[in-house]
Amino acid sequence: MTDTRDRDDVRRPPARAPRILGFVALKLGGGALSLLLVVVLGFFLFRVLPGDPARTMTRSAPVSAEQLAALRHRFGLDQPLYVQFRDFLGNLVRGELGTSYTYNRPVAELIGERIGPTVLLVGTATVLAVLLGLWMGTRAAWRHGGSADRWFTSVGLTLWSVPTFWLGLLLLMAFGVGVGPMPGLFPVAGMSSPDVPPGVLPRVLDVGHHLVLPCVTLVAVIHAQFMMVMRSSLLEEMGEEYLTTARAKGLREDLVRRRHAVPNALLPTVTLIFLHLGLVVSGAITVETVFSWPGLGLLTYEALRVPDLPLLQGTFIVLAGSVIVMNVLAELLYRVLDPRVRAS
Amino acid sequence: MTPVLDMRDVSISYRAGGGLRRAVTDVSLSLEAGQTLGLAGESGCGKTTLALSVLRLLPRSARVEGEVLLGGRDVGKLTWGGLRAVRWAGASVVFQGAMHALNPVRTVGDQIAEPIRLHSAERVPTAVLRARVAELLEQVELPVERRDAYPHELSGGQRQRVMIAMALACEPSLIIADEPTTALDVVVQSQVLTLLRNSVARRDVALLVISHDLSVLANTCGRLAVMYQGELVERGRAERLVTSPEHRHTRALATAFPIVGDVSSRRVGEGERSGGADTPRGGAASNGALLSARGVSVSFTDGARIRTRAVSGVDLDVCEDEIVALVGQSGSGKTTLARTLLGLRRPDAGGVSYLGAPLAHTGGGLRAFRRRVQLVLQDPTGALNPRHTVYEAVAEGLRVHGDVVNEGERVRAALEAAELRPAEEFLGRFPHELSGGQRQRVVIAGALVLDPRVLVADEPVASLDATVRGEVLELLLGLRRERGLSTLVITHDLGLAWSIADRVAVMRAGEVVERGPVEQVLTSPEHEYTKALLAAVPVLTRTVT
Repeated sequence: MTDTRDRDDVRRPPARAPRILGFVALKLGGGALSLLLVVVLGFFLFRVLPGDPARTMTRSAPVSAEQLAALRHRFGLDQPLYVQFRDFLGNLVRGELGTSYTYNRPVAELIGERIGPTVLLVGTATVLAVLLGLWMGTRAAWRHGGSADRWFTSVGLTLWSVPTFWLGLLLLMAFGVGVGPMPGLFPVAGMSSPDVPPGVLPRVLDVGHHLVLPCVTLVAVIHAQFMMVMRSSLLEEMGEEYLTTARAKGLREDLVRRRHAVPNALLPTVTLIFLHLGLVVSGAITVETVFSWPGLGLLTYEALRVPDLPLLQGTFIVLAGSVIVMNVLAELLYRVLDPRVRAS
Repeated sequence: MTPVLDMRDVSISYRAGGGLRRAVTDVSLSLEAGQTLGLAGESGCGKTTLALSVLRLLPRSARVEGEVLLGGRDVGKLTWGGLRAVRWAGASVVFQGAMHALNPVRTVGDQIAEPIRLHSAERVPTAVLRARVAELLEQVELPVERRDAYPHELSGGQRQRVMIAMALACEPSLIIADEPTTALDVVVQSQVLTLLRNSVARRDVALLVISHDLSVLANTCGRLAVMYQGELVERGRAERLVTSPEHRHTRALATAFPIVGDVSSRRVGEGERSGGADTPRGGAASNGALLSARGVSVSFTDGARIRTRAVSGVDLDVCEDEIVALVGQSGSGKTTLARTLLGLRRPDAGGVSYLGAPLAHTGGGLRAFRRRVQLVLQDPTGALNPRHTVYEAVAEGLRVHGDVVNEGERVRAALEAAELRPAEEFLGRFPHELSGGQRQRVVIAGALVLDPRVLVADEPVASLDATVRGEVLELLLGLRRERGLSTLVITHDLGLAWSIADRVAVMRAGEVVERGPVEQVLTSPEHEYTKALLAAVPVLTRTVT
């Protein structure tokens, strides 16, 4: 690197297109490999879980040993582990995730139903948290040590360390149930009310009304990490000389920040945001449970109690897969944002 | 006529801790249109602080007293809006080491266009803007297509050209160039200086150049001013200042850079090579070579799988009791060759031998070799672990080699040998408590403690101040005199080669194009490339006294 840095000749332009394709193929291949590991891991992980699905399902009614054995046979639980794994892989290749024990319906169908609400909740919360976090992080760093910095970081870190379910319950009690003279302002459970007038707008408003509390809970908890990353990466950029150049050019301070400092500071933040987009899907388990939001998180929670092995495997693959997909997307996006990564 | 820049009794101090730290004391200077002024001084003398005060670019902790008049208006009294209007349009800056001074995620064309758009009263049509950027790039002799390049895609010299194009963008009446050529090699340096000089001469712009290198300033500026510890100690016409400096600090600056071809500026004389030769330690190969390379070729494979030859077919010997300089521009392959000599890289072809025996590339053999051939790097700050004391830094080599008998005594001896006396005083210190020169001595002591036969020094004084350079070079010469220690100095600085080396090898594009005794190669070069290198060295016309 040092050897060629200062060479003053015109460099040959790199052959861009094939290298980009190669890069994308490499990343996608890596992602596929991770996904395969997830599938294998998921299968064995849930077999180790305590609890017997057959017993849990028949808890309410007295059953004979034969009936239990028949149930186990139906689910394939009496087969050796490697046979179960083989069948599982075979089904997976055919695009089947198996049948849920408790719901007695194909897992893929169940997940398909629940993924919409989760994406709505998590997507809204993440977009809000990212915007809020980035804005707060920028403010905090630009006036490093100022009152905004102190308030944002202390409040953000407090909320970040609070257990999600606890904060959710508090909000639920305060704004859902109501405290003292204040009535409950928001619905306490679910995604929609049974008695909504027909029409698109009333239904959208109803869902939005239900969305407020779980969304606020998620935003409150996760915005801090975006803020802290943005803050520290902007602080790092603030000593850079190109900002002095920008000031010397006569740019207003907010333009120096917006045009020069923030685009550079955003780079490390992008990776985090995308990693998080994947993680948040699973992170919503507690929030969805507290607010009975009919999403993947709640489904996972219900499946865990049985344990409903096919359903767990299915949700696990979807959740882990989303992390991997987002990670690959982050790397590709990073390449677009940072010209230096593009070249190397 | 109103001077473009008029500084009257300017003093600048920084709030640090509870008190004030003076950086600049009572400096007055003025500069008229078309004039060029060089501000010389060592790092920390306040020259950059003074320059930044012209556009009020100093950090908030700075307090400026006195008046800075830019085109007759007091910069200190301008409103923020007024100040922004003056910045770049009235005076622009060519910052040092343009890698960091350019925004890495925006194209250079975009960055050149930015101040034009900003300082125009009305919206500039894109086509006009593009044409103007193309025109500016043409003026700094860069291909127009380069406007879509990002800073990292350009070489150091090209980035500096972009900075100059940017500085010219709004046609200011003053350009301040802060160390415009530091970190550039001699050929690129001379191109950039010529460009800077011509650009201002054509436009009747005033130019203020700041540098630690008096020869750079003397070649660019009509007048010089020398700063020392925040004060202006001497000023005058460039020739006068260089030929007959009055202040001792000016003299120190002027003599720090040797004049190639001037025998009096060589530190190594004929009678120098004695001590080591009297007590030969033996073991050298038949031709006297301690370390030698034969037909060494090294190539790299980059991300796109394109092989680049960095070194091809090089022969080089470092004999006992000898200082050899390996000279070349950045990218000539000299550092790669040095790494190969140290056994840090395996050559594709050819081989390295020490005392006539080929270099082992595994385990014990390589370790034994590394005890005998030690490396000294360019930047002592980076080479020293900031959390290790001087003692730990020097003793580390012994510990790596599992040789801890009499550790304390040997560390002290090595520090003494590196002229850090008394050694006791330095043992417990951390790198940040030392000056640049002392740090480099600690690095050298770390090498000496293993009692090597050869030092490989990669730009050993490039990051040091003028006056400290001389001391470190004296140290290298002293080590040879007293211990017969051979040194291979890798440098782009012909003056350095001239001042301490016995033999020189000139490298270009991976090949040694010329070699021989320093006096011969540098005074009557045969190869075109050596001639070109010598021609690019800024010359201090100094009367030899």
